[in-house]
Amino acid sequence: MNIDKALISKLESLTRLQLTEEERLQLEVDLAAILQMVEKMNDLDTSGVEPLTHITSELNRWREDRVEEALDREMALKNAPDREGPFFRVPKVIELDDDRPS
Amino acid sequence: MHPYEQYELVIGLEVHVQLSTRSKAFSADENAFGAEPNTQVDPVSLGHPGALPRYNRAQVESAVRLGLALGSQIARRQSFDRKHYFYTDLPKGYQITQDREPVCVGGRLPIRIGERWQEVRIHHIHMEEDAGKSLHDRSESYSLIDLNRAGVPLLEVVSEPDLRSPEEVDAFMSAMRQLVRYLGISDGNMEEGSLRCDCNVSVRKRGSDQLGTRCEIKNLNSMRYARRAIEFESRRQIDLLEQGGQVVQQTLHFDPATGVTSPLRSKEDAHDYRYFSEPDLPPIELSDEFVDELRRASPTLPWEWYRRFRQENDLSDYDSALLSEESEIAAYFRELATQSGQAKAAANLLINKILPHSRQERMPLTEFPLDLTQLCDFLALIEAGTVSHSAAYQQLWPALLESPDRSPLDLAKQLNLLQVSNVDQLEEVVEKIVAQFPDKVKAFRNGKKGLLGFFMGEVMKATQGKADPKMVKRLLEGKL
Repeated sequence: MNIDKALISKLESLTRLQLTEEERLQLEVDLAAILQMVEKMNDLDTSGVEPLTHITSELNRWREDRVEEALDREMALKNAPDREGPFFRVPKVIELDDDRPS
Repeated sequence: MHPYEQYELVIGLEVHVQLSTRSKAFSADENAFGAEPNTQVDPVSLGHPGALPRYNRAQVESAVRLGLALGSQIARRQSFDRKHYFYTDLPKGYQITQDREPVCVGGRLPIRIGERWQEVRIHHIHMEEDAGKSLHDRSESYSLIDLNRAGVPLLEVVSEPDLRSPEEVDAFMSAMRQLVRYLGISDGNMEEGSLRCDCNVSVRKRGSDQLGTRCEIKNLNSMRYARRAIEFESRRQIDLLEQGGQVVQQTLHFDPATGVTSPLRSKEDAHDYRYFSEPDLPPIELSDEFVDELRRASPTLPWEWYRRFRQENDLSDYDSALLSEESEIAAYFRELATQSGQAKAAANLLINKILPHSRQERMPLTEFPLDLTQLCDFLALIEAGTVSHSAAYQQLWPALLESPDRSPLDLAKQLNLLQVSNVDQLEEVVEKIVAQFPDKVKAFRNGKKGLLGFFMGEVMKATQGKADPKMVKRLLEGKL
C-alpha cells in the first residue's frame, strides 16, 4: 500500500482527527515504516497456513442471559469530558446523523 | 400509458429486529426500553478501554430460532467482526457484527397480500448490536447522549430484492413483526424502534429482468413513512430516467415533514468500515444437538395455522388470517374448535365476543373468565336450538360474563331463554296467528310473499322471541 497525502487525508476524515501539517508529514513517515516492517511477512510462504484471528482456540464463550448490576450513573458519567444532567454532552453532529449505518 | 405504469419497482429490505433478551448482547447490563438515561450501562457498553465483551447465549438462540422458522441454513460455524465508524453514540468506535460468517443463510418468509400468499427470499440474518441514542433538540451547539441502548442485541434480516410495491413491503414488515412475536424473541414494536427497516429501491421497465441502480432509504421506523418514502423515491427515479438521466447509487434520508427523500451530505469515502475479525470474541460452533433442541421447541408458525384453519377447519380467508394473527389466539381457537366440534361457530364467538372482551379488559385469553367447558356448553346450546342465536349472544352471554361460575344452561333457564321448539306447542301459536289475520293470509296467497316476515314477527312476539325461527318458518309455510 502506498502511503501518500490522499491516504492520510482519508484517514483523518474517517477518524475525525484534525492534524497539523507537521503531524501529517510525521504520520506519513511512521505509517510507511510500519507497513514496510509488516511487508517482510511477504517473504514467507504462507500458502496453506490458516489465518490466526484469535490467540486461543476457545469456542462458544457465551454468557447465560442474566442481568448483573449496572454501573452507577455517576460512575458512568464521571470520566466523560462533558455532561449535562444525566446525559453525556458532545458537540452537535446532526448533519451526519443519518449517515451512519444502522 | 403514464410513464409510472411502464415501470416496475424492485425493493429489498434490511430489517433490524431488537431482541427482548434480559441482558445486552455483549455485557450483562439490562436491556429494557424507557429507563432513566444512562442507568443501564457498564464498562462494555460504555466502550471503556480493556473491557471485554462476551456474547449472550439468548441472542444466538433467538437468531437460530428465527432462521429455523424461515427455513434458513443455520451456520454451524460463525464469527464476529468489527465495523468501524465514528459517531458519538457508538463509544467503542466500532460496532460488533457478523460480516463474513453470519448465523443464518437463505430462507423464505411467506407474506400475505389480500388473499394471495407469496414467498420472499431471505439473503441472510446476522447478529449485531445497537448504538446509543442521541438527542439533538436540547441545545443549539450540543447533542446529548444516552447509552442505555448501546449494546442492545439486534438481528439484521436482509431480504432479496423480491418486493414490488409498498403494499408488499407493508406485508413483509407485518409478517416479520408477527413472526418475531410468535417466536417471543422481540416485541416487534415499531413505535419503540424494536423493528426498523432500510429500503433498497430501484425501478426498471416492466418485462425487463435487469436490475436498475438502487438507492437506499435509511432508518424508516413506521410503515406509513416507509410507504410514502418508497412512493416518492420510485417516482423520483422514474422521472429521472424519463428525462434521459441516470440514477446514482446513494444513501437517502426521508423527511416525513416534507415527504421528500434527499441524499445524505456525505463524502464518497465515508463508508469505509474497515471490517476486521473481532479478536475479543472467539468464534461460535453450533452442534447438531443445539440446533435440534431449538427446532423441537419451535412453535406452530402463523402461516401453518392459517393453512390448517383454511383446510382443516374450513374457515374463510379473513377468519383464518385473523385467528392466526397471534400465537396465543391461534392455539386458543384450535382448542375451542376441537373441544366444541364446531369450528365456524367457535371462530365467530372468538372474533365477535371473546377477543373484543379480552382486548378491552387487557387480559390474556388464558385468564378469560369463562373456561373452555363453559364456552363449549354455550355453543352447544345454540347448536341444539335450545337457545336462539340472538338470545344467546345478546342476553345469555352478558349474563354469563356477570356470573362466570354459572353453567350456561342453568342461566338460560333462569333467564327464561329456552326456545319453544316443541312442535305441538308452536303449531298452536301459529294457527292462532293465522286465524287472527285472515285478510293478510288472503294477500299472501295472492302473491304478497313478503308478508311471511310479518307472520314470523307475530309468532316471535307471541312467544316472546323464544321460538326457533327455522321451525316457525316451516310451520307458517305449511299453514299458509
